[in-house]
Amino acid sequence: MKRIVIIEDDKITRESLGLLLQASGYEAVIIDDFKDVVKCIIEAGADLVLLDINIPYINGEVVLQNLRKESTIPVIMVTSRDSETDEMLSMSFGADDYVTKPYNPNILLLRIRAVLKRSNNSNEITYRDLDINLQKGIIKRGDEEIVLTKSEMIIFNNLLSNQNKIVSRDELMTDLWNNSSYINDNALTVNISRLRGKLAELGIDDAIETRKGIGYILI
Amino acid sequence: MKLGLFLKDRLYIIIIFIAFYVVNLLFLLASKVDLFLILFFSITLFSIIACVILIEYKRRKDFYDTLITNTEKLDKAYLVLETISYPNFYEGELLYNNLYEINKSMSENVGSLKKQVDDFKEYVEMWIHEVKIPIASLSLLLYNNKNLYDKKTMKIVSQIDNYVEQVLYYTRCENLEKDYLIKRTSLAKVLANVAIRNKDDLLENEIDLEIDDRGISVLSDSKWLEFILNQIVNNCIKYKDSNKESHIKIWVVDTKNKTNLFIEDNGIGIDDGDIDRVFDKAFTGVNGRKYSKSTGMGLFIVKNLITKLGHGIEIESKKGNYTRVTIAFYKNSFYDVVH
Repeated sequence: MKRIVIIEDDKITRESLGLLLQASGYEAVIIDDFKDVVKCIIEAGADLVLLDINIPYINGEVVLQNLRKESTIPVIMVTSRDSETDEMLSMSFGADDYVTKPYNPNILLLRIRAVLKRSNNSNEITYRDLDINLQKGIIKRGDEEIVLTKSEMIIFNNLLSNQNKIVSRDELMTDLWNNSSYINDNALTVNISRLRGKLAELGIDDAIETRKGIGYILI
Repeated sequence: MKLGLFLKDRLYIIIIFIAFYVVNLLFLLASKVDLFLILFFSITLFSIIACVILIEYKRRKDFYDTLITNTEKLDKAYLVLETISYPNFYEGELLYNNLYEINKSMSENVGSLKKQVDDFKEYVEMWIHEVKIPIASLSLLLYNNKNLYDKKTMKIVSQIDNYVEQVLYYTRCENLEKDYLIKRTSLAKVLANVAIRNKDDLLENEIDLEIDDRGISVLSDSKWLEFILNQIVNNCIKYKDSNKESHIKIWVVDTKNKTNLFIEDNGIGIDDGDIDRVFDKAFTGVNGRKYSKSTGMGLFIVKNLITKLGHGIEIESKKGNYTRVTIAFYKNSFYDVVH
């Protein structure tokens, strides 16, 4: 389980963030003493940090600078400051992403997943006896090879990273739109059935189940 | 300063002088003084009075003429005192000193008002950053509580966020200071952010979105641009035509001197009589009145931001057919040289 440290001075926000992350299968570590944030982050042994800019004692950008002297752990800045200058500054101090408040929880989760994936640097994953190349959009079984369209790959990848959990249509839609696939409801249904068909061609016809009214699940 | 009017103003001097002269002339004639002497006396007298009046005229003319022409020429007329030299005659000094005092008191007055406005704007900016925190908490709370979480409540939260943002950009667009940062900005990224912000609205209204950015980037401030495009897309959604299948098409045309970004919808369109005024402050027009909920501020702020960023914006529409907004990003060879 990936461990995420939350550094956020608003109590309700950090507790809700904690709940959100736990519900999405992460381990959340909430820091509420801001005296030595960098030390706390290092000691927590986290995989990712959600860092607010406006925190007591010390500015989040300074925390980031100090953290970068000791660690390359991925950092997502989460802040209500939305100017280009703030973002440029954070990115130049070594932030991996920059999300402005208020954020759509779905998108925040997608950004977290993307940053974690980038730091893992894995383009090749497996599912049952399939080899999947995310970059090329290819799934392989032995010598058999099938090419997925961009939208199909986004859906498959999402289901795969949430394997054995129900993914709502809305979550899939957010992921698609977040990756510039601006499709509508019907197209989503079409894409899912095409994906099922392609998986069936490789001999897996029970992979994606529909949970009526809730969403889809990859088994 | 006109000589005729100046003389008219000094008419009493001339009349007194002539009366005095006639009395003296009669006295001299009665005293049987030599005619040659009288002539000499007359010429001297007239010369003296003419000299006095002309010198007086000249001293004033130099001062007043510069004052008048400079006032006309300056676009900030209140700065005129800085452009003229201190007068060398008493009345001019009085006027100059008085104008100086008036100016000073007015600039103090304007200064204190400006400070009030600046303080207020600063407060609004700060307040907006503060209010975003509870909005963020709210959306998280809603999301975590599956009983409360549905599209409608999230839509309301995002509406609040949009209105708050509009205030922020209104204070920004009226500010003289530059608080933007121009850099190479990927249109795809900005458009993706705009699309995702409006995703639920677009899906709910069954509006198809087509974006063809061709991987082009422009020189702009990505946050400002996102706000601008978001306002335009909001309008496309607000004024959709429910009688047909709606779409929004966004595409880019790149030429040597500029990059044009087109945003076109097939909505209800804009009245011919309204189209020239859509960028005016608080203008709502026929559509705004029909569909309520229009403050008429969105496009006004958009136009202001666009101008500050140095881009261009145009809008064309055919009633009941389409509305097309074109944003022109001019290419800056200077920027390319520096980078």
